[in-house]
Amino acid sequence: MNPDDNIYLPRIAVVDRVSDEIPEVKTFYWHFEDDADQQAFRKFRPGQFAQVSIFGVGEFPASLPPSPTEDETFFTVRSVGSCTAALHQLKPGDKFGVRGPYGNGFPMEEYYGRSLVFVAGGIGLIPLRSCIVYALKNREKYDRILVFYGARSPRELMYLPSLREWERSAGIECRLTVDRKGPEDEWEGNIGVVGSLFKIPGTNIPVDNTIAFVCGPPVMFRFVIRDLLGLGFREQDIVSTLERYMKCGVGKCGHCCIGVAYVCTQGPVFTYEQIRNLGEDI
Amino acid sequence: MKARILDRRDVLKIVDLLKRQGYEVIAPFRGRGRDTFFDTVSDENRERIELHLPNPYYPPKRYVLPHIEPLLNAHSGNGGIRIQPTFDDPKRAIFGIRSCDVAGIYHLDRFYIGREFRDTYYERRRKNLFLVNMVCTDPGEDINRECFCMCADTGPASRDHFDMQLMDLGDEFMAVAGTARGEALFDDPIFRRGGEGHLKRRAEILNGVRSHFKNTTRSWFSAAVRQITQGTVLEKTWEEVGDRCLECGGCTYVCPACTCFTVSDRKVAPGEVERVRVWDSCALLGFTRMAGGHNPRRAVHDRRNRRFFRKLEHHFIERELSMACVGCGRCAAVCHGDVGMPSVVEMIRRATMETDNNES
Repeated sequence: MNPDDNIYLPRIAVVDRVSDEIPEVKTFYWHFEDDADQQAFRKFRPGQFAQVSIFGVGEFPASLPPSPTEDETFFTVRSVGSCTAALHQLKPGDKFGVRGPYGNGFPMEEYYGRSLVFVAGGIGLIPLRSCIVYALKNREKYDRILVFYGARSPRELMYLPSLREWERSAGIECRLTVDRKGPEDEWEGNIGVVGSLFKIPGTNIPVDNTIAFVCGPPVMFRFVIRDLLGLGFREQDIVSTLERYMKCGVGKCGHCCIGVAYVCTQGPVFTYEQIRNLGEDI
Repeated sequence: MKARILDRRDVLKIVDLLKRQGYEVIAPFRGRGRDTFFDTVSDENRERIELHLPNPYYPPKRYVLPHIEPLLNAHSGNGGIRIQPTFDDPKRAIFGIRSCDVAGIYHLDRFYIGREFRDTYYERRRKNLFLVNMVCTDPGEDINRECFCMCADTGPASRDHFDMQLMDLGDEFMAVAGTARGEALFDDPIFRRGGEGHLKRRAEILNGVRSHFKNTTRSWFSAAVRQITQGTVLEKTWEEVGDRCLECGGCTYVCPACTCFTVSDRKVAPGEVERVRVWDSCALLGFTRMAGGHNPRRAVHDRRNRRFFRKLEHHFIERELSMACVGCGRCAAVCHGDVGMPSVVEMIRRATMETDNNES
């Protein structure tokens, strides 16, 4: 970004297509109206985020689920507040605003040579999707890649086609679970919280020279951290991405500041060691 | 820095000089009773400008950071959206800004334009802002019960960051130029060179004024910085502060160094949306509440802890090379629960003394 740029000025983006992921969650494929903006934006890192503007409603921070190695840019967003509900109304061809990318992102290059363990719950898979796709694209750079993903029910598994593909692929070990299944759900897999996947006989989780990515609702986060520490993970080898109320994304509005850290500029990616020292609930 | 002398009767001519250069001049006035305020100088009110008066409750911060500030307009039509930034950055001069408020504006400078992601709106307005600092020399008028600039090291006379500083020497005023554009005003014949006597008089007056501050918080600020940084302030002290906080947000709205804002869109015409930023307050429950209702900072005392942590923790001071408290005392004056900065610093000190006594 040019230092003379107006940091609060969104660029115009156009919706290409919309796909339903799970109930209340949609994926919006989009591109910038101006190709120069598109080229500049494409240099984002996994784990960064963008500020999305729906003019007349407001602006909100959204994770970037695509990997920079992919051609398409998209957001996957749950309708939870006024801005996200307004985004959900958009149809192909509709315009909205985007600023970014912002934040530190995951230092994927620092992890070269190590094994990667991804643990996600619910829509916590959205930011981690970027890292998983990035790691698979650069498969030779990493040792083992494991994905443990849990959702409340089979109908709430995100990115299902990708999950099925990862389950079949040789380069990645992907284990799925659901908290419960309804009578009409066709589900042959594991039932239980995501941590229960660690205890399935035959599951071999690398610990040495391994980075664990954890993202999910606060209660899942607490239990998974306990499990990982129990397995022998060091606090600095567990990374996550924090969610906070944000208005600017550039360290000015003050809402996301925890302890001495602005989540928007110094985060949103922190190690568990850092999160614990920030002194506030996840 | 260059200094000049001018006659008392010529002081307001500085206002005229600035107006002639195209500045909108803001100066302090007195309302009915003890209330004082900043307002734009006109031909009608020029004679009522007060050189000595209690510092207005509402800080001059709004002239660089308006409490509601348009950022951009988005026009929709013909299938497209056009975004137009909205700038409002007139040439403005604040005549009679106090030293604490000069430090407040310097803090905003450090925060908004001193680091990565420079704030264009702030920067444009700040470039056009001329500061004429008035040194607080009248103990009866200038120095309130709540003032603690001595302790925050910002007053009673600013050392820097003004364009021109004025100090009342009696029949004469001393003017000090802090910038080239301040010095340029010295070309006017109202200014003349001073002598050793004037410097001596200045030193005498400043020494005298310093003895008029209440001494309660004079020596404990650095202790509070240290303890907050080390995390040794007891949870029960924060709980006590939280119990006394009425969550009105007053302390943040009168603070010359608070920087937080929220952003809001409003429809101003068919197909036209205005995006504004509005001062926000960490005292309010909604400050950290996310869509969906999860709020990581629910408890009042956690939010109060946040305010003092943000202002006194040394990482922030180091990062901004400036402290987010300038010792103006407005939070102490505005707070119904008496948990403004001086009181909290005192509560931290007292709690520590109790702990020390128990340990020994």
